[in-house]
Amino acid sequence: MGNLIKAEMRKVLTTKSWWALMIPAVLFAFLFALGWGAITNDLNDYLGSSDARQLAGALGVQLGELPVGLLSLAHGVNIGTMFPVIFGVFALAGEYSKKTITTTFLTAPNRVSALTAKMITYIGWGAVYGVVIVAGASLATLLTVDSRGLPSAGQWLAVLGAGVLATILATLFGIGVGAVWNSVVGATVTLTIWMLVVENVLVFVSFGWWGVRWLGGVLPNGTLNGIVGAIGAEAFGAAGVSVPGELDKDFQWLLQYTAGAPGAFSWWAAALIFLAWTMLFFAGGWAANQRRDIT
Amino acid sequence: MHDGSGRIAVQNLTKQFGAVTAVQNLSFTVEPGSVTGFLGPNGAGKTTTLRMVLGLVTPTAGLATINGRPHNQLGNPARVVGAVLENEGFHPKRTARNHLRVYAAAIGVPDQRVEEVLGLVGLTPAADRKAGGFSLGMRQRLALATALLGDPQVLVLDEPANGLDPEGIAWLRTFLRSFAQQGRTVLVSSHLLSEVEQTIDQVVIVSAGMTRYYGPLEQLRNSQRSRVLVQPADANGLVKALQEAGLNEVEPTPDGRVAVAGASVQQIGDLAAKAGIAVYGMQEDKADLEKLFFQLTSPQYGAAAMPYGQQPPPQQPGWGTPPQGYPPQPNPYQSPPQGYPQQGYQQPQQPQQPGQHQSWGGQQ
Repeated sequence: MGNLIKAEMRKVLTTKSWWALMIPAVLFAFLFALGWGAITNDLNDYLGSSDARQLAGALGVQLGELPVGLLSLAHGVNIGTMFPVIFGVFALAGEYSKKTITTTFLTAPNRVSALTAKMITYIGWGAVYGVVIVAGASLATLLTVDSRGLPSAGQWLAVLGAGVLATILATLFGIGVGAVWNSVVGATVTLTIWMLVVENVLVFVSFGWWGVRWLGGVLPNGTLNGIVGAIGAEAFGAAGVSVPGELDKDFQWLLQYTAGAPGAFSWWAAALIFLAWTMLFFAGGWAANQRRDIT
Repeated sequence: MHDGSGRIAVQNLTKQFGAVTAVQNLSFTVEPGSVTGFLGPNGAGKTTTLRMVLGLVTPTAGLATINGRPHNQLGNPARVVGAVLENEGFHPKRTARNHLRVYAAAIGVPDQRVEEVLGLVGLTPAADRKAGGFSLGMRQRLALATALLGDPQVLVLDEPANGLDPEGIAWLRTFLRSFAQQGRTVLVSSHLLSEVEQTIDQVVIVSAGMTRYYGPLEQLRNSQRSRVLVQPADANGLVKALQEAGLNEVEPTPDGRVAVAGASVQQIGDLAAKAGIAVYGMQEDKADLEKLFFQLTSPQYGAAAMPYGQQPPPQQPGWGTPPQGYPPQPNPYQSPPQGYPQQGYQQPQQPQQPGQHQSWGGQQ
């Protein structure tokens, strides 16, 4: 297994895609966090409205001192996780499109070990993506958010942990979708459009028209974003914690939306549901690859 | 673990892709120490069979083993079998050396082995060029280098001569012969007998997914006897004279000549002289493997007589005696499969020079 993991590492390092995707991942995480960081200060200033006053009272925090930095972190990480998904798509579907899968299977004891080595290698790469994406978002947050709005060290560590977990799962999710669909272009284009546009429209429209608040809490992009986003939402009492004094449900959703996790139940619920999505595609792709004829 | 025999065994192998039967009940064995040719026209199921041997395609029925084990039970398979396949991919942006380093790591051989195989196939000067810019011949060399990384006991090659220049083909021929002489196993497929005739000792001939012949090439060659085409003044008289002399393998040809098997030109000339029959011309029609290959794989043959449909166990090499001599009319060579050159097959119309039909194969 060590040999196969070494081979997978060499595969990644001898082509460009790992840095060609990592650079935009960090860049987008930085820019999104920068943008959100710039407006969250205003949010803290705005938090004088009745709803916010009620919420702050319930949480026992000082008005205007909510850790709004979590919002910029979450939005930075959320956009960043797109790239490990695409990186994951390349892992296996890329081997099919370049036909290197033939040699990969010929030089591995069996397909299970070839795929296991790939999975382990990409878990490692997912973690690397997580660290650099969180770093990029953190830098932008430090640059823009006033010190009163910065999260505590504990919250920051939680974002790092959740961010790494999210990017690992995102990478495996990409591998799974690529393995099921077996097309780099098809999977990449569809996933990008789905995650950036379709699902957001679905979540927003179903909330606006039918008052469905939970949809973002179960769909793939929503749950992936929720892993980190819910930390911010929870800090505002909008997810995962029971707030005395009944927060208005719609306001709660809006707060979650602002935190980048509309509908999220809690960070760990989001992680578990996204894990289920990942396993669904990963197991499907795995099964397909056990049987697929390489012609 | 595997038995280390170097034997490839294909037993009653069948593969269906949906409604299409690519391979039907195929059986043969490939023994170490020899180069075995795996021959058949395009679409005969060669590639599918090789990919089943290599575990890339799952058989619908039957079993393919190397060293007594299916490919996925060989342990570290690239140490046992190396493969050069058609359509094998290289990442276009990865250099030849990096490509080999990836798979050297997977097999668990030191990186030094990469330099060795690069030198072996003559790619050292191009080692740091991206595989995407390689010519077909260079890609074949890189594929062979990849196959040799694990220093395997068995080598499987699918149409390896494609894209190689004559020099490359000659080099490959020498390489495969020496590889087999070390007691290793070589199975090489081709749709052209002439391309591999000088390389192989054993041959498996398939057509339409079924085995037509397998055994030593020499046996196939010997089975094909030459005959003499005689143009006498009195055909009936000559036939009578020949039969009186005990030569019964006589048959008329479509252009009015007499084909005699089992006799030399001298014998026939003497008999004709004794019978007082003038002979205007005699021509030796030598045995030609390429012709026999067409005969074995042509649809006419498959439909007319199929003595190879029933397959005995593959442990008996050399079964399946190839057809004797030439089939009676209609002459199957009058309509060779599309895409094959036709010169040499219109013998009824014009007498042909010996050796004429040996030349075309090399021009492919």
